Amino acid sequence: MTDQPISRFKIPAHEMERIRTLLGREPNITEEAVFSALWSEHCSYKSSRVHLRNFSSKGPRVLMGPGENAGVVRVTEKTGIAFKMESHNHPSYIEPFQGAATGVGGILRDIFAMGARPVALTNSLVFGSLRQPRQLTLFRRVVAGISAYGNSIGVPTIGGEVWFDERYSKNILVNAFALGLVAEDGIMSAIPPKKNLVAVYVGNKTGRDGVSGAAMASRSFSGEDSDLRPQVQVADPFVGKKVMEATLLIIREKLSAAIQDMGAAGLTSSSVEMASKAGMGIEIDVARVPLRDFTMEPWEILLSESQERMLLLVEERHVDKILAIADEHQVAAGIIGNTIPEPVFRVRKGPEHYAEIPVAYLTDEAPLYERPTEERGSFRSSGSNAPSLAGSHSITELFHLLLEHPNGASTEWISRQFDFEVGTRTILPPGHDVAVVDLKEDDHAVAIAMAGTSHPLSKDPEKGAMLLVAKCVSDLAAIGAYPVGLTDCLNFGNPERPATMSDFVLAVNGIAKACKRLQIPVVSGNVSFYNETDGLSIPPTPILATCGVLADKRTLVPGRTDLSGLTLALVGSSRDLALGGSYLDWILALPESSEPVPDVDWNTLERLQPFMSALAFDRRLVATRSVGRGGLLRSLLQIVSGSDSLGVALSFPDLENPLQTFFSESPGRIVLAYFPEHEPIIERMALEFGIPWLRIGTTAHSSWTIRYKDRDHRTKVLSDQLSLLKRRFATSLSNQMEEFS
Amino acid sequence: MPSYRVGIIRFPGTNCDIDTWEALTLVPDLAPVWVSHRENNDPDLSALILPGGFSYGDYLRTGSIAAQSPVMNLVTDYARRGKPVLGICNGFQILSEAGLLPGVLLTNNSRTFLCQEEGLVVDRTDTPFTGLFAPGSRIALPIAHQEGRFFLDPDQLQEIERSGQVLVRYSKNPNGSVHDIAGVTNSAGNVAGLMPHPERRTRAGLSAPYGFPFFQSLALWLSKHLSDKENPTH
Repeated sequence: MTDQPISRFKIPAHEMERIRTLLGREPNITEEAVFSALWSEHCSYKSSRVHLRNFSSKGPRVLMGPGENAGVVRVTEKTGIAFKMESHNHPSYIEPFQGAATGVGGILRDIFAMGARPVALTNSLVFGSLRQPRQLTLFRRVVAGISAYGNSIGVPTIGGEVWFDERYSKNILVNAFALGLVAEDGIMSAIPPKKNLVAVYVGNKTGRDGVSGAAMASRSFSGEDSDLRPQVQVADPFVGKKVMEATLLIIREKLSAAIQDMGAAGLTSSSVEMASKAGMGIEIDVARVPLRDFTMEPWEILLSESQERMLLLVEERHVDKILAIADEHQVAAGIIGNTIPEPVFRVRKGPEHYAEIPVAYLTDEAPLYERPTEERGSFRSSGSNAPSLAGSHSITELFHLLLEHPNGASTEWISRQFDFEVGTRTILPPGHDVAVVDLKEDDHAVAIAMAGTSHPLSKDPEKGAMLLVAKCVSDLAAIGAYPVGLTDCLNFGNPERPATMSDFVLAVNGIAKACKRLQIPVVSGNVSFYNETDGLSIPPTPILATCGVLADKRTLVPGRTDLSGLTLALVGSSRDLALGGSYLDWILALPESSEPVPDVDWNTLERLQPFMSALAFDRRLVATRSVGRGGLLRSLLQIVSGSDSLGVALSFPDLENPLQTFFSESPGRIVLAYFPEHEPIIERMALEFGIPWLRIGTTAHSSWTIRYKDRDHRTKVLSDQLSLLKRRFATSLSNQMEEFS
Repeated sequence: MPSYRVGIIRFPGTNCDIDTWEALTLVPDLAPVWVSHRENNDPDLSALILPGGFSYGDYLRTGSIAAQSPVMNLVTDYARRGKPVLGICNGFQILSEAGLLPGVLLTNNSRTFLCQEEGLVVDRTDTPFTGLFAPGSRIALPIAHQEGRFFLDPDQLQEIERSGQVLVRYSKNPNGSVHDIAGVTNSAGNVAGLMPHPERRTRAGLSAPYGFPFFQSLALWLSKHLSDKENPTH
């Protein structure tokens, strides 16, 4: 064993040993490459699979669940929505423009591989502090990359979230979500029937870009990773669009038995995974793969992650038609192999054999770890009597503090770079908490709510994760939509560290519990581990996207108004308004503060959605907004953003804890704006539905005043300069970006 | 009432084609027809629209590759014969590249893509696409482009101002276009280019449907001029 070579593909020694045992021999270089890809964390989910079984993907509306390119949920009698979220963190850090653009391209291919036409994109972006020039560049280029791909392929980017936090400066997060529409009888699968099928390649030619990308995304960065650039793929949205149209046509004509995107680990994973699901083997002849670079070795062809490629398994009789469609769309295509009865993955280059591996060794026999966990100590100790977070700051000062930071700012600088209207389905554009897409069928619309704040999870991974689910549901309820399915992208550090693994397990449990409580199926998802550089991991950061249905788009209530004199009320549970994990908590930089993460009032939350739908259906509301990042005051500032001169005049009864009232982000509270004459009915309905209701003031021209009584019954009046608040909100991100451009 | 067949040209990479189709179907007298970028023969249409998108991926220069397509012979022929031709966004860029409209469209001053609603003033109202507007009408339409900064040298700019070829102007210039120009016509007035997207504002929603009259205007213009199609008015 002394001269046992170490893996050329950075396969850990103990896994190499297992490969030798399975094969009963030394793998050759091609085989080793194949193992390195399929046994990578990215492809095998070896550290997470055990825990992901906690998620329930069952539900009466679920048409396709995990194991497919994307989940599909029925939203009308004939139409389903296919949706999924994926990370592209590692590539985006190395080459932000291409990394982000290929992230968008990849998630779109997952959607149209299902036969669904993509109609919406959203994203979640987490970066380090913009005070660092490197972060400014990364952020600017990531936004440009998303814009370049989405705008060009003609799928609108209609929403998203952004967060800047020092702890992500070496591991930025770029998560992309896509949603498509598919007729129920037109759904494509990645699971082929068990019969002899021909493997047809459709799309961009294969080059050296992205060789071993999946392996890269499955380990931590170190200071010496400046040589990783060739492992980043290059996007071509123009070819992407042609491939999309060709694929959708092939599916519409029912010419293919199964389709998978050649994403992570490219040709290898798509061919092996589809063969495995069919219980078959597959033989690939790399000499027949359309190439950009004819000097490529077989292992490079197998591992290339060149973009805009699809692998189809089809019946012999349909091959000519498929090749003709590819030709008509001016994309490369070719027969590159076929499924075989012996369950092996065989790679040839013409007559020469390069690899022969039983499929099961690559899939079922891939390592599966239940990695050790160790809870981080501090977060469980929820101090009962939270010390005053605010110290000597006044409420007014704290509010300004929230607005001055880019995390509290309007995200218009980002969203205006995205074509959010192409396709003319965008009912609620960016700037609302929820994005709404017109189905153009029976007045139905689909709403997308995202949540991905890590701060509550840093304090308590399980409760924090539950908050994220509750936040999505509150956001949907605010516009009168009900949840039908959830997808997630779980961004964590190094799973080989017990503390990180513990965070992961707790967060998964939290999401699973909350989803079961609310009966929301988790239909697809993605895990991104190894967001760690030089031994420093990111905080636990699951990003969720919950899709909801709006039965009648005409009853949609927007998140802003320009009308003065509307009554403002707060509905929902105020049972636990603890500030732990809030934006205020974060900005005051007291991560060790003992302020606990709030508990969700699930019973009230469940009643909130039907209550809001009933109000919306009766057209009682002018605008609504769920209390989100920054709390009530920031949400109010957004609700009056329909006009530059519109503000609020608020009047509260005795406030036991003004800080909590104004800054808590406890989910399940919604601000309503309505004409005063609707109040008696709204109040009565609140009583009927068992929803706490409190009138808090009115929208008012050129005013920002808040009147309340403190616990000693002394009247306090806070006024502020409305134009200054609005300017802060509008510019604290854009100024930062434009100052240094 | 006759139905006027309006061709929508699809280049590889065009992505506002379906939106434009849907907008046309909302006008009772217009019937949209797909026209391929490879089209050589005259399908005998009443008007042509070049919709927005990223023809040929915007590679080389926006609109430059599409401007060399076979179908451009047809577009040039229609333009010369006085038939209505409208280019929206990338369509405008293609018509400029083909020399059928004055000016060029450069990268926005911000150097970024801009997707936002803009206030506009309709300057010229005797064209096939703006007949239903009163001169000086204030409307709002969305823009969505990275290369939308209209540019023309001062002499030519004076020339198009004098001959009334400015179709619409921005109320608040978003991209650095000279004279706030958002849309222009050729000297005859039958060929028009718009950077804003009228097809995105044809239905009731959170924003007013200011785009609809552009298509209604076309129907009205065609009904007035159809019998006269071999002898254009200008």
